[in-house]
Amino acid sequence: MPIIDSHLHVFEKLSDEFPREVNDQCPADRAETAEKLLEVMADNGVDQAILTQIGGAQLAHHRYLQHCLKTYPNRFRGIGLIPRDEWDAPEDHMDRLAENGDIIGFRINEIGGPVDPLSHMDVETFTSYRIWKHAAKKNYVMWLYIRAKDAHQIAFMVRAFPEIRAVFNHLMICPGEEMFSWDDEGRPHITTPIPPMTRYSMLGLHEYPNICVHLSGQYAFSQEAWPYRDLESWHKTLLAKFGADKLMWATDFPWILEDPGYDKLVQVIDELLPDLNAQQKAEIMGGTAKRVLGFPGLAD
Amino acid sequence: MRRPTDAERQEWEDNGVLFLENAIVGEDLARLQTTFDRCAAEARREWLEGIAKGTRPAAHFDIPKPLEKDDVFIDLIDYPGWYGFLMDFADEDLILLAPQVRTLPVSPISYVGWHPDVPHTTPLHMKVQIYIEDVPANGGAFGYVPGSHKPDAGPCPVVRPLDSMPGHKVYPGKAGDVVLFNSYGWHTSMVNRTLKPRKSIIIIYE
Repeated sequence: MPIIDSHLHVFEKLSDEFPREVNDQCPADRAETAEKLLEVMADNGVDQAILTQIGGAQLAHHRYLQHCLKTYPNRFRGIGLIPRDEWDAPEDHMDRLAENGDIIGFRINEIGGPVDPLSHMDVETFTSYRIWKHAAKKNYVMWLYIRAKDAHQIAFMVRAFPEIRAVFNHLMICPGEEMFSWDDEGRPHITTPIPPMTRYSMLGLHEYPNICVHLSGQYAFSQEAWPYRDLESWHKTLLAKFGADKLMWATDFPWILEDPGYDKLVQVIDELLPDLNAQQKAEIMGGTAKRVLGFPGLAD
Repeated sequence: MRRPTDAERQEWEDNGVLFLENAIVGEDLARLQTTFDRCAAEARREWLEGIAKGTRPAAHFDIPKPLEKDDVFIDLIDYPGWYGFLMDFADEDLILLAPQVRTLPVSPISYVGWHPDVPHTTPLHMKVQIYIEDVPANGGAFGYVPGSHKPDAGPCPVVRPLDSMPGHKVYPGKAGDVVLFNSYGWHTSMVNRTLKPRKSIIIIYE
């Protein structure tokens, strides 16, 4: 069974060849390349990875991601972004990015329905509806890091499109407003109760067969240093509800390279889910991602 | 104050759950409904703000500190429609733990799976769920596995979907109907597939 890091980011220095947005986290002269990633993966026995787009949602912003996917076709699959001003008609953008088959899905952080849960819920009025509809038509994966105020809307969309493979990023936690800050190392930190209040809207999704959850992003939610013991109970809850065959391990490279280090993230499942049997661990560390996301064999 | 008949006491012991029709009616029910809606309206903005911050659940809406909001909620604690049953079942030794004045939004999934509230190593908890409006079987009605409260019953299986739990029973009801249940037993809120939020009050005793 391959070891697959199922959510991380790579980017090059800003250039005409690889344009991207610039911010404090990703300044113009910073590069976290696929080659650097492959080196650290090799050092830790990790075989394949999902590269999640960072640095902008325009087609041109995806050039480095596409370059990596083309250069290393049996190592990576990609997740793209959709410009917010194209959500009314996202189909062309999605298809152009996915035309080579190596960008397999799209990440969104908004469902876009009524914030008041007591409102009538009509998914066709949700701002993300056409993205979901097209994803269902083209068998794209939905990559979800959803705002807390949208959490109650997700079940309606999943009910409308149960065939879609949906992967909830970062422990299925939905960040709340005013709960975002930067830690001392310039990484995102989310202040959230653990277990999250959004669990009441999320855990019941285990009834749907195509819902998966990332075990990742611990550094952003924990109040403790590695191995993030304060998140152990939540990991066990996700395992009990969804099962190992719906969970995917990921590192969120490069934000964890210095603290705690990639090698520590490879061990984090052993630390937080010490009672897994070999089959369960193999599923979480790569089996689920290979099966659900359709990774090629390493020799392909 | 009503007390259980021998048959009702036997049903409680056998099943761990008892359904009481028309436990609160007439002016008392009307006053409760009006107060519920007024207090919910007053608390709604704060709830929505909490949802956006991730500090309040969206999947159910509880009016905070209801006993401080209106005496009508205090009156429910020893209401004659059910209090005599609880006193009888608890051998006259009963304390209030908490009330939950709860609105359940419509959703394709339940906010909670099948579960017992407490293990047998802790004192018995009993709950009273009061339906404020009519609750059809597909409207977030209470679900219970009769007999699952017994120490030798063992844990219920993990099931998907919720309504595939072996041996479970759903308790739809009219406004003013009440479900009493032993919370050692496995229970849940069934999915609210209607177009209308469910309103109920849950009072927890030990």
